[in-house]
Amino acid sequence: MRLKRNHVRAGALVAGVAAVSLLAAGCSSSAAGGSSQTKGVTITVALFGAPPPKASLAAFTKSTGITVKWSTIDWDSLQTKIAAASTSNTYFADATDVDWSRVGQEGKLGWFVPMEKYIDTKALAADMPQLSSFTYQAKVVGIPFDSSYLVTTVNKSQFAKAGITTMPTTIADYTKDLQTIKSKGVSQTPLNIPFAAAEGLSTYWYETTEAFGGTILNAKDEPQFTSPDSAGYKAAQWMVDAIKSGLVPAGNINVSDSQGQQTLMAKGVVASTFGDYSGNVGSLYDVPASSSVAKQVEYIPTPGVDGTAANVSNPDGIGILKTAKYPAAAAKFIEWFTTAQNQADFAGVNGPSKVMPGYFLPSRLSGLSKLTASGDLVGGDELSTLLKTSKPVFPDGAPVWYPQFSSAVYTNLHAAATGSMTVDAAIKAIAAAADSLAKK
Amino acid sequence: MTTVIPGSRLRRGFDFLPYALVAPLTLFIVCLALIPALFTIVESFFRVNPLDPPDAFIGFGNFEALFANDAITSSMVNTAIYLVIGVALSTVFAIIFAVVLQKRFFGRSILIAILILPWALPGVVEGIVWSSIWDSNSGLLNSVLTSLHLIDHYLVFLGQNQLSTIFGIELVQVWQITPLSTLLILASLQNIPADIYEAADLDGSSPWATFRRITLPLARPGITIAMVQAIIATLNVFDQPYVLNGSASTGVSLTMETYFISFQNLNFGEGYALSLVITLITLLASFLVLKLVYRPVEF
Repeated sequence: MRLKRNHVRAGALVAGVAAVSLLAAGCSSSAAGGSSQTKGVTITVALFGAPPPKASLAAFTKSTGITVKWSTIDWDSLQTKIAAASTSNTYFADATDVDWSRVGQEGKLGWFVPMEKYIDTKALAADMPQLSSFTYQAKVVGIPFDSSYLVTTVNKSQFAKAGITTMPTTIADYTKDLQTIKSKGVSQTPLNIPFAAAEGLSTYWYETTEAFGGTILNAKDEPQFTSPDSAGYKAAQWMVDAIKSGLVPAGNINVSDSQGQQTLMAKGVVASTFGDYSGNVGSLYDVPASSSVAKQVEYIPTPGVDGTAANVSNPDGIGILKTAKYPAAAAKFIEWFTTAQNQADFAGVNGPSKVMPGYFLPSRLSGLSKLTASGDLVGGDELSTLLKTSKPVFPDGAPVWYPQFSSAVYTNLHAAATGSMTVDAAIKAIAAAADSLAKK
Repeated sequence: MTTVIPGSRLRRGFDFLPYALVAPLTLFIVCLALIPALFTIVESFFRVNPLDPPDAFIGFGNFEALFANDAITSSMVNTAIYLVIGVALSTVFAIIFAVVLQKRFFGRSILIAILILPWALPGVVEGIVWSSIWDSNSGLLNSVLTSLHLIDHYLVFLGQNQLSTIFGIELVQVWQITPLSTLLILASLQNIPADIYEAADLDGSSPWATFRRITLPLARPGITIAMVQAIIATLNVFDQPYVLNGSASTGVSLTMETYFISFQNLNFGEGYALSLVITLITLLASFLVLKLVYRPVEF
């Protein structure tokens, strides 16, 4: 009996000590100093996508002595973790996502180690046209690891059924063609615009503004879309008119970008998406398991005012957190992760065993060339051409207050689409938000 | 004369065993609940914004900024509607289900297991499942209504109108929280002695009168707890509106605004203040329910 009681006491003591340890560990924050060690270390890489194939990571470990612990976290949670870890100066990962839209904010706050410290970014610039989207005050916050940019996709079969054989090169022709498709009953709602109040609506508007020949903000971060003659105003009006006139399904006020691509474009409900993801033809529309329009959808040069327009880039980058334990090792990983050969492998040039699931397109022109040359990239020639002309939404880098600005963009454009406010009122509200944020 | 029992507490001195046993849980609560709560209260009176350093005491500045923000006041109205619809519907449904499950019948256990399922699902998963029901372009509900010739074109259920949007979203949350409410009320109902019902039967009480005069009054403790948990859930609704309606003003809740302010705008001071406001509203609403609904029951 006494023995049993002693055991209980010992157990209780252990529990008490464990609790004190928990208190000490849980209530303290500690940021690692950052070691320059690269051999025999394990780094954590947190990104929203699936990891590269195990064999590729094993080869990296063998050649560098760095083990990679890959952590897949959804995009929203990732941004929250980056903010929480950085503000509390706590370790969370060594390398993680740098979204182009957060470059201003994260650059100003110094949450990421400038990449120049470890990588010759000037040498990269020529091969990575989207590197400028990750630059804040001449410092590179992250390296783009894939090249996502907005493109126009059309279902050529539906266009042909409506008697359209020459693809439109201007917005006016494009609109007329969509009306023809609707009037001929090929598709009741031929255009996909994701009007859900989410980031996808903002980027769609940026792409449409680019097509109308303008920009969103100037170098001083002043709104360039307030005049009814401006590209941004016309773009917003065109988008809202499209849903009001029935070119866009009425239900699209709650459809996000990826949802529209998967449930409308891939199912043949709509005939075109003006601001689609690059790579979608090969990875979504031509995949019979997820699409009923295989081999019918193609990229076309984005229709503009007087001819084809540029595309806005929407790439994903990877950077080294200031609180990283092994920044030098993380830099070696990023260097490896973004080589042209690896990018081509991840995109499928050397067979399915080397494919990184969910990988878009190489961010390096040389990587894209390898992919195009292999013949494995659907619409490769068009995509290569479009990548060369892709432009950042904000040539001088996304403003520090971009997340709030984007929120103002999508909530007001969504409201205009639902009819609860006019386009003019929406534009004024977006401009007022930009002015007020810039003043702060 | 005083007798000393061998091995008694007096002889052994201070007994630390009970304290050691509760220490882990106490420290867990202190560390993960009380300290963060205290930190939130203190920081809500400071400007905490890494984009606008340094941190500084600003009194009620964060609270003033919140109440001057149209987005916040709009989300307060939305949340109030979520609260009213959610608490009312979940409580009514839970009472009905609990009464049905009160008596033993074949398959009752299976029915309870099925009933609990929505409670076990994460809010995001429920949002995704229900989005395929509400979807205005290809949703199940539109498809059924069209098949039944009740509508001739697909309807837009969410996003067009504030009330219908919130109602649609809140139905999803009601689906999630009703199982727990049902179990809480069912536990109360099972405490009611059978002889009370037998006496009512003998006195010729109708089923409705029995329900109104016996079941409902005696289930009040369970109903109160169910309503309080519904209040906490609805005042903190996030996943369902975020998945089903994005950031549209027609459905944004207070907790969504807390997230946007804290992690999108990095204005942590205002985020703390808004969290505190939500906590105070929760306490106030729970206290009101306790006062209005709760009555001690003794058998």
